[in-house]
Amino acid sequence: MTADAPPAVAVDKSQDSAPISGVRAWLSRHPLAAYALRRFGLYLIELWGALTIAFFFFRLMPGDPIQTLIQTLQQNYIYNAQASAEIIARYKHEFGLDGNLLTQYVVYMQKLVLHGDLGPSLINYPTPAQTVILRALPWTIGLLGIASVLSWVLGVVIGAIAGWRRGKLGSSIATNLSIALSHVPYFFVALILVYIFAYSMGVLPARSAYDSNINPGISLAFIGSVLKYGLLPGLSIVIIGTFSWILSTRMLMVPILGEDYLVYAEAKGLKSWRILTRYALRNCYLPQITAFGISLGFIFNGNVLVEQLFNYPGLGTTLVTAIQQLDFNTILGVTDMAIFSVLTAVLLLDLLLPLLDPRVKYWK
Amino acid sequence: MPMRILRAVLRTIRNSRRLAMGLVILGVLVLVALFSPLIAKAIGGGQDPIELAAYDKWQVPGPSHLLGTDQFGRDVFAMVVKALAVSLQIGAIAGVISTVVGVIVAFVAGYKGGWIDNVLSTFTGILLVIPTFPLLIALSAYAKNVSLFQVGVMISIFAWPFAAKTIRSQVLSLRTRPYVDLARVSKARDLEIITTELLPNLLPFIGVGFASSALGAIFGLVGLEIIGLGPGGVIDLGQIIYSAISTGALTLGAWPMFVVPVGLLTLLFAALNMVNIGLEEVYNPRLRGVAGE
Repeated sequence: MTADAPPAVAVDKSQDSAPISGVRAWLSRHPLAAYALRRFGLYLIELWGALTIAFFFFRLMPGDPIQTLIQTLQQNYIYNAQASAEIIARYKHEFGLDGNLLTQYVVYMQKLVLHGDLGPSLINYPTPAQTVILRALPWTIGLLGIASVLSWVLGVVIGAIAGWRRGKLGSSIATNLSIALSHVPYFFVALILVYIFAYSMGVLPARSAYDSNINPGISLAFIGSVLKYGLLPGLSIVIIGTFSWILSTRMLMVPILGEDYLVYAEAKGLKSWRILTRYALRNCYLPQITAFGISLGFIFNGNVLVEQLFNYPGLGTTLVTAIQQLDFNTILGVTDMAIFSVLTAVLLLDLLLPLLDPRVKYWK
Repeated sequence: MPMRILRAVLRTIRNSRRLAMGLVILGVLVLVALFSPLIAKAIGGGQDPIELAAYDKWQVPGPSHLLGTDQFGRDVFAMVVKALAVSLQIGAIAGVISTVVGVIVAFVAGYKGGWIDNVLSTFTGILLVIPTFPLLIALSAYAKNVSLFQVGVMISIFAWPFAAKTIRSQVLSLRTRPYVDLARVSKARDLEIITTELLPNLLPFIGVGFASSALGAIFGLVGLEIIGLGPGGVIDLGQIIYSAISTGALTLGAWPMFVVPVGLLTLLFAALNMVNIGLEEVYNPRLRGVAGE
């Protein structure tokens, strides 16, 4: 009886792999592709979920913005009752407000997905909201992209060293400073920087994104002015961002220091610097890449106020202006854009991770 | 049971200087906030020091007005003390609401597992990752004349996922512990296991969840005030900063109007963060490698 068992297992195996459909077999032979597909599916679900939450959130809000809009329209356009009804109906249609909530939702999603259309902006009518948003987008991506990557790199490097040299004076200063400052909102630092560099010393500009005397374009003068004007808003994000990355990297680093492979590396006689960069750091920057993606939404939140403070022509300022003027298509558009950017960045980072981390094998 | 918890709390505090320091700073701030009506009365000497035109406006700091007066002739010191109370209140309201919601979601998701966990975790994950501040700004822009409590509720809509995430990962690690299995095989009901086995061990993480959502809530309200969208009728620290910026107080020599609220808030953030990190440091070794995060 026992002799029969091995062949039975072998038969089972061949049955397992042979009859399943071609797609499945291909996927099980390409685990990375399967992972990428599954991750992309999750991305689509998340994106759909987030956009839906945002849509219903704005349409179901107490103190209905749409009603206010209609009232404004009525006040502005009611010359005679007959025409007004027609005009209101026409505007409702233009802004995607006719029909019940579900119809509005379907129409909105259809326009968004098929044509990338966010509906007309109210203040800049008839300019579509996506034009307004795309005009602001490069500024935010530039400012936020550089500032968040820079603070991540600085924070991970300093944090790793602080964890490595724990117990030393420099390390404990860095750690305690990070604990005190890592949750301070960006705009506090921004306010202080503005006070010191713009008001007291008058060396750096505190408003706008470039010198209005210089024509925007690809020229040295313009790029220099963009950098100069971006310095203070960028710096306020970098300072606080660096502190919070220092803290979390240090927390990842300290338990790693007790691992056997580090003891082994040390016993092998490797230089301490090499152990830090090749052995320890590699194990704490990888989780930080995932954390970077997750933090982007939070960074965007803080950035709204920084942009507003500096009157920086990015998405944050666009959003606040739109809210003040009840431009609901733009408000929803900016939110959608932020959601899309953050989720896409997280997706790209997740897809990048298997390339950076040989341990990550997505077999499941 | 309460004594046991109290003793555990005391032991935890003794183990971490950072936690103790955070709690002391927090305690002092709370005391100042609690006594704010008395302090204000003492400053006013019979009259209300934060009434409009109580004194001359834009007085520089001096013996009669420690921090000077603002654009309406209100005593800045009294204003700051009262505003601190409001800021702490919002932190407490939103912190409690989001912690309660977070705990419930975390328990349902983490303990029950399966598709409920999948749905709830995905939902929590979405709320964590997407930028929610635009939603909060918009909500407060349209909801005019809201009370402090309503603002707290609004803010906690966006703050609970932070608490839920922290607590869920701990529930996941705790429910596979031998003593929970033991309780399960001895036919304890789910609710019983949750209240007697899981909850006491989760208290530090519930504390972390509370501290981080309170942090987020205070930050949220200050953020709203900075763009002039806070609740009407109350003055919190953010609003003093806002009026300092919008009136150009710094150029008029009224620097305390800006520096003191910013300093106090930074201190508050630092204290809450110290509590957070202190708790995590004390409890992490036990959990390292189990929770997976």
